[in-house]
Amino acid sequence: MSELLIEIKDLECNIDNQKILQGLNLKINKGEVHAIMGPNGSGKSTLSSVLAGNDNYEVTNGSINFLGEEISEMSPEERSWKGMFLAFQYPVEIPGVSNINFLRTALNERNKYFGIDSIPAKDFLKMVAEKSELVGLNNKLKNRSVNEGFSGGEKKRNEIFQMAMLDPKLSILDETDSGLDIDALKIVANGVNKLKSSENATVVITHYQRLLDYIVPDFVHVLHEGKIIKSGDKSLALELEKKGYDWLKTDENI
Amino acid sequence: MIIKDLNHNSLLKENSKLDLEALNLGSFPKRKEERWKYTPLRSLKKINFHNQFNFKIEHLSSLGIPKIEGMVIVLENGKFNSSLSNIIDLMDIELLFLNHGNIVNNSQEPSHKDYFTNLNFSFLTEKVVLKIKPNVTINEPINFVNIISDDNCISNTQFNIDIYENSKLHIRQYFLGSSNSKDGFINHRNQVSLKSQSSLTIDKFQDLNQNFNFCNEFIDQEQESKFIMNTFSASGIILRNDVFNNVNGKNCHSELNGVFAPIEKQHFDNHTTINHFVADCKSFENYKGVIKESGVGVFNGKVIVHQDAQKIEAFQKNNNILLDDESKIYSKPELEIYADDVRCSHGSTTGRFDEEALFYLRSRGISVKKSLELMTLGFINEVIEKSNDSAYKEFVLKRLLKD
Repeated sequence: MSELLIEIKDLECNIDNQKILQGLNLKINKGEVHAIMGPNGSGKSTLSSVLAGNDNYEVTNGSINFLGEEISEMSPEERSWKGMFLAFQYPVEIPGVSNINFLRTALNERNKYFGIDSIPAKDFLKMVAEKSELVGLNNKLKNRSVNEGFSGGEKKRNEIFQMAMLDPKLSILDETDSGLDIDALKIVANGVNKLKSSENATVVITHYQRLLDYIVPDFVHVLHEGKIIKSGDKSLALELEKKGYDWLKTDENI
Repeated sequence: MIIKDLNHNSLLKENSKLDLEALNLGSFPKRKEERWKYTPLRSLKKINFHNQFNFKIEHLSSLGIPKIEGMVIVLENGKFNSSLSNIIDLMDIELLFLNHGNIVNNSQEPSHKDYFTNLNFSFLTEKVVLKIKPNVTINEPINFVNIISDDNCISNTQFNIDIYENSKLHIRQYFLGSSNSKDGFINHRNQVSLKSQSSLTIDKFQDLNQNFNFCNEFIDQEQESKFIMNTFSASGIILRNDVFNNVNGKNCHSELNGVFAPIEKQHFDNHTTINHFVADCKSFENYKGVIKESGVGVFNGKVIVHQDAQKIEAFQKNNNILLDDESKIYSKPELEIYADDVRCSHGSTTGRFDEEALFYLRSRGISVKKSLELMTLGFINEVIEKSNDSAYKEFVLKRLLKD
């Protein structure tokens, strides 16, 4: 029996008084890869923001239990310390802050939370060298300002590089495939696969089946109007690719 | 300002051709005057100042600054403090002090007269003159530390820097207020003369705590000279810098940069005037304000390109971040151009930190406080980087971030 990592129950949430998630249920065990698909506006990105703790979204009902703890009121930083990671669909540019300084601060803030000493510079740099190789991140990018002037592909690689550095329990990849050419897609997927273990889980949020050729999911869920309306194995993604989403919407209406 | 208890410097009276009695202080600046409209002087006006000097500081380290290597000239409460200083006899530098009686020709009339200039001249307690001979490059910075450590003490000081032809110097100025003193006031004047092909960089650091500091700076540049001034304003009740940079020779480079970070009703004010009198010069200004907790910042920069000063390139920039609703910035970039073939630009921005960026940092496990600190660092880095000494940079940054 696998160990439960996160359980989302009856999750409802609003943004600007508009209901986005309307009773979402999802269970993820350690070692699993879940794909969440769905048409535009179905609530996919909202789900990722809510899980990461973006306070623009207001949870009005339901619960999120992460590693035995209710986290829906927890700050984003605390969620991160406990092992939550969101790879952003649109990684934010932070001018003047070097990628390296940013990551070092992130690791040290977490160490501080757990009462551990700051990571020695030498170990940190060794770790950077090791993890950046995973996604073939150019050495120069590490010293540049966070995401500033990065190409679309470089930004996404940088997200996976950060994921590797932080070694999270649950990684949510929000449309990581958008804006990637096929070579970059392979590199990013390859990085994600290498980070997979029996101790962590991955949620892949995507529009298209293509990414799932490289990151193979154990489960595929279809999100529509803020609810999961169908779950299946990876063959569901192929079916969606062929038929689109409309047949599912009608199904539900019947 | 209540100055009835102030004494004139007796040496000044003997040596100076200035008729002190005739040097009328004029009227105290009012808010309706354009140059003073953003600067509230009420807190300064009610203080009864004295200029009885005494030394209270035993070690510079008690003022929270890192150990300073090399030549250090320290004034405390308006007088030269030899025990805190480290005067190194450098062949190529001539160093004179008013109170050693070796400044004989002090007849120079202030070129720009206002209340605080007149106050400075008529109650001057110490003046230091530093001259560097022609064709000399001194790489190690020379440090000038001006301390106020006594309640209600006013320190009227002057520092003249003469850089002769083809020489190069780097100066670090510290204006410090002891954390044990309050309502002290350093009313300082810098007078800089740059001869042809010479170069001077001044890093200026202001950390006054519960005291005041006004600096009037006059810079005259001859041809092909280079002047850079980086002003870092960390604390003080009111800090005001008035820079007058006169570019009198062709092919000069003038650069004024600054970071000001007022908090808790502190008021930090930067007024600059760059006068381009002749053609073929470049000037750059870059001031960054980081303001929080009811702090108030002012940037009023003026570049004047006079008639016939063609081919001038002048760029002026002021960017500000307000960290909360109570903080204020008055930003007024000005260009006056009387020549027709110039490249000039000026701009000012004021904003808040991006919420998305804050969430991004927090989602990586960086606390709100640390995230704001990182973003602030990112914002001011461009200016901090102008100083090339990493220990100095780190120290300045720490104080600006109030870390």
